[in-house]
Amino acid sequence: MPTRVNPKLVTELERYGAEDVQKCYHCGNCSAVCVHSDALYSFPRKSMRLLQMGLERRILTSLDPWLCYYCGQCSTQCPRGAEPGATMMSLRRWLTGRYDFTGISRLFYRSWKAELLAIVLLGLATAAGFLAWGFAHGDFAAYDGPNAFLSSSDIHIFDWAMAAVLTALLLINTIRMWWFTLGSDKQLRVPLRTYLRKLLLLPTHFFSQRRYALCEKKRPWVIHLALMLSYMTMMVLVMGFVRLLQSGPEIEWAVHGFGYAASFGLLVGIAWFVRARIKQAEPHVQHSHESDWIFLVLLLLVTATGVTQHILHRAGEPLAANVTYVVHLSLVVPMLVLEVPFSKWSHMAYRPLAMYLSEVRREAIARREAAAPAKANLVPRAA
Amino acid sequence: MRVGVFLGNSLDGSGIDLDSVAKYAQNLPSVEYVRVLGTKPKLDPTTLAWEIRQQRLDRIVLAGDSPGRFKPAFSRALASAGSNPDEVQLASFREHGVGTGREALERAKAIVACGVHAVPFTLVAEPQSAAVNQATLVIGAGIAGIQAALEIADAGKKVYLVERSATIGGHMAMFDKTFPTLDCSACILTPKMVAVGDHDMIELLTLSEVTEISGAPGAFRAKVLKHARRVEIDNCIACNLCTEICPISTLSEFDSNLTHRKAIYIPFPQAVPNVYVVDPDTCTWTLTDGKKCGACLKKCPKDCIKLDEKDEVVELEVGNIVLATGYELFDAKKVEGYGYGKHHNVLTSLEFERMTNAAGPTGGKIVLKTPKLNKRTKVEEWVAQPNGPAPRSVAIIHCVGSRDAKYNPYCSRVCCMYSLKFAHLVREKLPEATCHEFYIDMRAFGKGYEEFMERIKAEGTRVVRGRTASVCEANGQMVVRGEDILQDKVVEFPVDMVILAVGVIPAPGTQELAAKLGLPRDPDGWFAELNYNGEPTQTQRGGIFVAGMCQGPKDIPDTVAQASAVAAGVLRSISSGHNAEDLSKLGLSEIEARANKLEATLSFAE
Repeated sequence: MPTRVNPKLVTELERYGAEDVQKCYHCGNCSAVCVHSDALYSFPRKSMRLLQMGLERRILTSLDPWLCYYCGQCSTQCPRGAEPGATMMSLRRWLTGRYDFTGISRLFYRSWKAELLAIVLLGLATAAGFLAWGFAHGDFAAYDGPNAFLSSSDIHIFDWAMAAVLTALLLINTIRMWWFTLGSDKQLRVPLRTYLRKLLLLPTHFFSQRRYALCEKKRPWVIHLALMLSYMTMMVLVMGFVRLLQSGPEIEWAVHGFGYAASFGLLVGIAWFVRARIKQAEPHVQHSHESDWIFLVLLLLVTATGVTQHILHRAGEPLAANVTYVVHLSLVVPMLVLEVPFSKWSHMAYRPLAMYLSEVRREAIARREAAAPAKANLVPRAA
Repeated sequence: MRVGVFLGNSLDGSGIDLDSVAKYAQNLPSVEYVRVLGTKPKLDPTTLAWEIRQQRLDRIVLAGDSPGRFKPAFSRALASAGSNPDEVQLASFREHGVGTGREALERAKAIVACGVHAVPFTLVAEPQSAAVNQATLVIGAGIAGIQAALEIADAGKKVYLVERSATIGGHMAMFDKTFPTLDCSACILTPKMVAVGDHDMIELLTLSEVTEISGAPGAFRAKVLKHARRVEIDNCIACNLCTEICPISTLSEFDSNLTHRKAIYIPFPQAVPNVYVVDPDTCTWTLTDGKKCGACLKKCPKDCIKLDEKDEVVELEVGNIVLATGYELFDAKKVEGYGYGKHHNVLTSLEFERMTNAAGPTGGKIVLKTPKLNKRTKVEEWVAQPNGPAPRSVAIIHCVGSRDAKYNPYCSRVCCMYSLKFAHLVREKLPEATCHEFYIDMRAFGKGYEEFMERIKAEGTRVVRGRTASVCEANGQMVVRGEDILQDKVVEFPVDMVILAVGVIPAPGTQELAAKLGLPRDPDGWFAELNYNGEPTQTQRGGIFVAGMCQGPKDIPDTVAQASAVAAGVLRSISSGHNAEDLSKLGLSEIEARANKLEATLSFAE
């Protein structure tokens, strides 16, 4: 089979945040210090090699970049300062771009101006839409109740519609990911049974991120998990209990208790990430891509406006609360619509899926080897 | 002759103020035009040609850091202006060792002056007549110092050989075998050591350090501090009775702390001078000012132990100085992942050399270190004992501290080959043991080296391309983890012994010595030679030569070759009665005058 080589791959990756890839002289120190690297999935050096050689297809079919959680040990220990950790991060961005069938993701990663413009335009459109809808169907001075400017039942329907669209987009991309990494591999036949038997790995990795916990440093895992669980809590509340969230003025502790905890978690988590990315004390926050900042700032603004509208509502300022609510929504919609399928947030689907698929693949290979012992390796071992 | 001077740098980071050099150049004879181009200028030959025609220039001097980059543009401009395109003179600052500071500015001006006269800057510093003292001072008595001293002394010239430790021989005396011939290291070295000890023309000063050097090339004066040996060199018959009676035992430096020695001892049986020495830091008598012990005094049959001997200062007058101060090992503790100092059976290369040496603490047996109680200090010390257990598997890790941006960026040049030699010794002495080598690139560059590597591989050493990241210990078993990059696999091997192929760094005191001599050092800390390709044995100061590792990592054959070349340089200076002038001491006006004179001679020769 012919191998296609992209000689400009390293240059291309630099747009996605890779640095100093060509410095690597392949000592293998990075792979050896990485706790996630094993006999089957050996990285980051192998990925560096594929990159230097421009073997685009091999990278596209590889799960390795998703198995890295970027603790930065490889970059710290690298004798050449070749930044393998940052390279793996940029590969994840590149892969996100390739999984996305619309091409929007590639545009966003290569041009932060395009991403920002899309966010602003979509935000303005959302604001206009909600304002028009509100003035047609409700009272601008009412936040809750039957005359509410934006009634919770309408928002509820809107939420679910948006969720359906996003899920569809993300599903197509995840299917593409599966196809690139496992489905298209003609030499590996994976029985359905294997897929089913490992299925539990998906929710496990999604909710526990337990591989992250194996990294040398534990704190990034704790912070990341706290942020993610806070967000999930908030999402469940919004998707299921928006009516109660928006009702008032008395506090529904069954719902709001969770809401306050989640808001607190979000704010603390975001603050920690912003501080870390500014201070750059640890390797994994030393190389921030524009998309990292856009995501963080969006999340911060969404959380802040969400909290503010809630406070204004309880403080008896329905007008101000409605204004904030519209601002909140016109930040939420771009954040979800643009970030979930096309940018940084898509990793919530790709990463657990990669954990799952990598284990499926491991078992399939083990089965194949058990059935027919592996042929002599083509590369003779130096002996 | 109308000369135009253009000043520009093709590199960033120049410490020279081009404007003040320009001001200086304006006043030079026959300089008609001076222009400062600045750093990384964009040059257009057409404009330059107009400029040259306008000023009617027929010689261009390009001055600055690496100005050769501009030469093509000026050659073309000269040609199109109708002048001789070859009349472009380079006055390269950085290439002629211009650093920073006031002296650097003077040097830069001198270089420009030479360029204006079209005289090579190095020619100006040609040997001048000066009386040369026939004696030579050699600092350091490892293989480099020994070789240079013998060559000079064999030619009938006096040599003072100064060595810091109690015996000559240096690191080579510790080695077991040499690569790639697997000759016994001592069999090559000890005859030379004995020759040094017996030579009429060599005065050996062991336990000595050069403290001060003054004077000029051809007539240096050196002060040498001779530490007290406390045993009379001329009378000691090396009967060993003093060592037998000495109650103090401490770790032996010569044996890389693998075993113990006494407070009065001989570093190794073939030591030159073959005389015992007292370690004043552990000897009870010296520590208590003669109030306690003194057992050896009573035992000595020749009454030659003088425990109250004092240090003395010797003054020497010499014509030339040879630096052969060698190296020391990179501190392997800095690479935490390998656990040197934490795991007892992670050894440095030098420790393994001593262990496998037939004259070493285990009689050449490769054993694991085992604890032994030091009776005096009541501390358990891990030492190599002849009856220790043999390792079943050994890992050798290359490039420890070398080729690493965090430690030493350079290649230490000897580690690949000595590691292969170790693998051979392990396979030879322990045929049952497995041996893994982890390497990044195998640098087998010398005569017979590549063949040696193939031989070692054929002997069954498993050579893994990939650097080891870590050595950890679980349940008393050490495990090395690395990537076999030819197989794209992370591999882990249980091992009993790890040998670290530790890189080399300049010997302690190199910096102080360089400061005393006014010699520049490389960014890596080695003594800087005058010219890497052309004058690899000379330094910027006339009459001072470098040999061996102190100039940069090199193996024994290269060291010996360089030491012999140094001897040739010293003998040339002695026999011609000339000595290269000290370039840094020449004043600017003198350089100008000389350049002027040389220009006249050179054009006459044409």
